[in-house]
Order: sequence, then structure tokens, then C-alpha cells
Amino acid sequence: MKSLRAVALILIILLCGLFIYVAEDIPVFGDPEAPPIKSVKLFTMEVGQVVSLLDQHVVPEKLSMELVKRGFPSPSRVEKIGGVEGEWNGFITKEEPHYAKEEKYYWIKEGGGKVSVSRYAFVVRWIEKGLKETAVPNMVTYGLADYRGYDTLGETSVIFTAGVSVILLLRRRSRL
Amino acid sequence: MQKGEERSIVVETVSRVMIPFIQLFALYVIIHGAGGPGGGFQGGVVFASAFILYTMAFNLAGVRERFPESANTIFSSIGLYIYAGIGLLAIIFSLGAAQYLNYGFIPFTSHFEENRALGMDFVEMGIGITVMAITASIFFDLAQKEGIEKEEKEEG
Repeated sequence: MKSLRAVALILIILLCGLFIYVAEDIPVFGDPEAPPIKSVKLFTMEVGQVVSLLDQHVVPEKLSMELVKRGFPSPSRVEKIGGVEGEWNGFITKEEPHYAKEEKYYWIKEGGGKVSVSRYAFVVRWIEKGLKETAVPNMVTYGLADYRGYDTLGETSVIFTAGVSVILLLRRRSRL
Repeated sequence: MQKGEERSIVVETVSRVMIPFIQLFALYVIIHGAGGPGGGFQGGVVFASAFILYTMAFNLAGVRERFPESANTIFSSIGLYIYAGIGLLAIIFSLGAAQYLNYGFIPFTSHFEENRALGMDFVEMGIGITVMAITASIFFDLAQKEGIEKEEKEEG
């Protein structure tokens, strides 16, 4: 019994250590620039001619090839982010049914002699386009009732089913 | 209130004053689901809590006169009908071009985005009605069961 307790204590200390180690990676709460919220990094590549091509609003062939090799659509055009040096937005073309319009998709950044290519997280689109698409300022509501409308319909029917079950179990047979 | 239990004037008066405000606040929460923090689920539960407060302060028979069982059962399904019906209206008004629950195609106004906002408001109202009726219904059923058991124990 005593040895079991000692094992449990050691296990819990190890778990605490693991959680502290994992918590190091968690971004600051509510930071919109945090990597998991803003973008997912895909790969880095040598600068070479890429930057000068990007500055001329031309999609470098090397970049397209690298993206296609990894199974991503190649960008249709690139655009410099206003006010920031060495950062570009990559757009992808309209493609039914996943992209009904041209969509901002890649985030290309130059720094430290490398060009890093990231894919924007879905949250970015959610925040930037929600108000324009739905005319509702509350991003929780347009997520709940519009983008995820099916989900909410299911939730409501779950509540309805719970109520009907209680009615069937507890009410007398004669009155429903 | 069961027979033989004392009435509390303070509780009765306070709840009589509070209940209208609780109900008004619930409607406020439902209506402002789009503009601020709020929505159907929260508003429905707040509305149901007004009925629960009434039952605590007065008695079950009194609340059943104001909100009868048949109306409760109808309300609990009507909210879901509103939600599913709004979704179906999108298909009907666009003659099958739009998806289910694509509120933009229901012609409330002339703007696509405004239609989506209004559709969301109506959907929230449907959620609110269902949640309110189901929460109240579960509470009343449990309270009634307890009352019946107590009566049976006293008889036997």
C-alpha cells in the first residue's frame, strides 16, 4: 500500500512537470498575433529571386512548386501588406465549392535571410469577414447561428428531446 | 405551496416585484443576441427561472393556471418549428437555389447581409422559446412528481 502511494506521488509530480512544460507553448491569452491563432507555418525557403518577384506582384514559380508539392493550391496573386516591410499576402482563386470567392490564404514573410510561408488560420477569415458578410457585430453569434447553424439546430433538438423524455417518464399517461 | 406550510410575505412580495423584471431582462437578452453578449439559450433559461421563482414563492397550481401544461407542450415544439421553418424558408424563397439555413435568401429586406442578421434574430427567438418551455417543463414535472409522492406517503 505504501509503495503504491509513493508511485502515485511520483506520477503526479511527473504529470505536473509535463503540464508546466506544455504550458510554455501556450500563447498569451487573447493575443491576435499568436502563431496558432493567426497562421500555421508551412515551410521556409532561400530568398534568392523570390523577394524581388514578390515585390513586382509576380508569383514566383519556385514558391508555387513548393506549395503544390505539399498539396496546397498555388497562389493566384500576391500583394504587399500595407505599412509592413517584407510581408506579403497570397491569394488563391475562386474554386467551388470550397472557395466561393477569391480568398486571402498565404502569409509570406521575409526575415533572417529566409522566406517563410504560412497559411492563415481560419480564425483570421472569421474575424475579418464576419461583420461584412452577416452585418452582425457579435462574432460569437454569427458563428453560432449562421456559420454553424446546423450545429445549433442539433443542439436545440437535443434539448427538445431531453424535455420530451422527461415528459414521457414523469407525467401520468392520461395527460401529455 | 402545500397545505399546512407557512406563507412568507417577504418572499411573496419580493418575487411579485422581481418577476416582471426578470421576464423583461430575458426578452432583452434574447433580442440583443446579435448585438451584444446574449442569445436564445441564455434568455430562455432566464425566462424559465421567472416561472421557477413563482413556484418557489407561491404554489404549483397557481403557475399552472397562468402557464398551462398544454401551452407548455406546444411552446416547447414551436421554437424548434420556427428554427427549422426559417431554414426551409430560405429554400422556398430562392426556389431551391440556396442551401438549408442560408438566411440571406429570405427577403426580409433588400440587402443580403441584413437578411442574414434578421434571420439570426428569428432563429435566436426560436431557440429561446424552446429552451424556456423545456426548462420550465422539466422543473414542473419534477416538482409535481415530488408532490404526488408526498401525498401518497401521507395517505399510506
